[in-house]
Amino acid sequence: MSRVTVNRVLLGLAGLVLLVGALLVLAGGLDLYRVWHLGQPSWWPLHSPHRPVLSEAARTRWRNRLWWWPVVIGGLTVVAALAFAWLLAQLRRSSPTELALETPQRPGLTLRLRRAALIQALEAGAGALPEVARARVRLAGRLPRLQVRAQLLLDPGADVPATVGELEAGPLAQARTVLGGSTELPLDLRLRVSGPPRTRARAPRHPHRPRVI
Amino acid sequence: MTAEPSENRVPRSARGPAAGVVALVVLVASGALLYDVAAVRTGHRAGAWRVRIAHELATRHLDSGWVLAAAGVAAALGCWLLWLAVAPGNRRWLALMRPPGALIDRAGVAALLEARALELTMVADARARVNRDRARVTLFGSADLAGAEAALTAELERIALASPLRLRLRNRPAKHRPPMH
Repeated sequence: MSRVTVNRVLLGLAGLVLLVGALLVLAGGLDLYRVWHLGQPSWWPLHSPHRPVLSEAARTRWRNRLWWWPVVIGGLTVVAALAFAWLLAQLRRSSPTELALETPQRPGLTLRLRRAALIQALEAGAGALPEVARARVRLAGRLPRLQVRAQLLLDPGADVPATVGELEAGPLAQARTVLGGSTELPLDLRLRVSGPPRTRARAPRHPHRPRVI
Repeated sequence: MTAEPSENRVPRSARGPAAGVVALVVLVASGALLYDVAAVRTGHRAGAWRVRIAHELATRHLDSGWVLAAAGVAAALGCWLLWLAVAPGNRRWLALMRPPGALIDRAGVAALLEARALELTMVADARARVNRDRARVTLFGSADLAGAEAALTAELERIALASPLRLRLRNRPAKHRPPMH
């Protein structure tokens, strides 16, 4: 499962837990079951506004059972470990520092390309294109499915399709050649355009008229 | 997974920052509770914070103002997290038609429209606002609206967005004298 799906499922789960708990407390606290004449089964939690949120008896109900502490400690450990893994997934560096290139015509030779060098070459190539003011490139994923993430800032009034075409034909095509034929090198390109320069064409309040003699 | 060039779409946002914050909160809460439970099981005293929270939960009734306010805040937070989980996000970006994965930001489209409008005759200034299906351009000056519409439609076609924007034009008198071309 991709990071997008995992994040969205877990965020939705956290939201659902919060919402259901809060609605139970609100329904009990505002006495909505009685106001709206809703019956609820006897085990229903938080049903009366005059009950404490978590009474001493409810908190210590299962304390003397043999399974209680192992379940509490095990459950908390699992939750903490999953949260830690989820947090790490957000912070992880997205691609390895070195890429191993295929050399099919020379067996026994392994070429290693530093990620930083590839990024630098792509950034320099993209930044040198006409109408590109700034270029920033990152790489994501591992080699057969390596992805280029580029952010370009274009000059005012730039020709967008032409610039994108030059980026694909120039730096990206070179990178694809370097990485070998098997890598598709999909592109995630984000373009921004700076605004037009605004010349203050304001008429002077007291124009200096040329003196006509 | 590769999208066809004709149906290039803005990808759904990964929600990284929100996921990181929620993961951190869950980690801190469960870690603190685990530490305290383990301390009590090994013969130490429970932390003052846990004693305090257990006492509050056992004495406050459900209709107390604090409990209701906390539940309201939690419900709002829960709704917001559900919204983050469902909504597509990445609203800042519009997809370009041609290479798959190419996006342009809405402010960038607005800047291109403004730059094109400023080239028209009798336009002193132009402001463009672009949302996800419509571009609104306000021209300051006494420009010919039909000509401006044709020029700006051509500019939008040149940018080649995957789903075309509807163009709305309006004219305002110039705040200052327009440059004469």
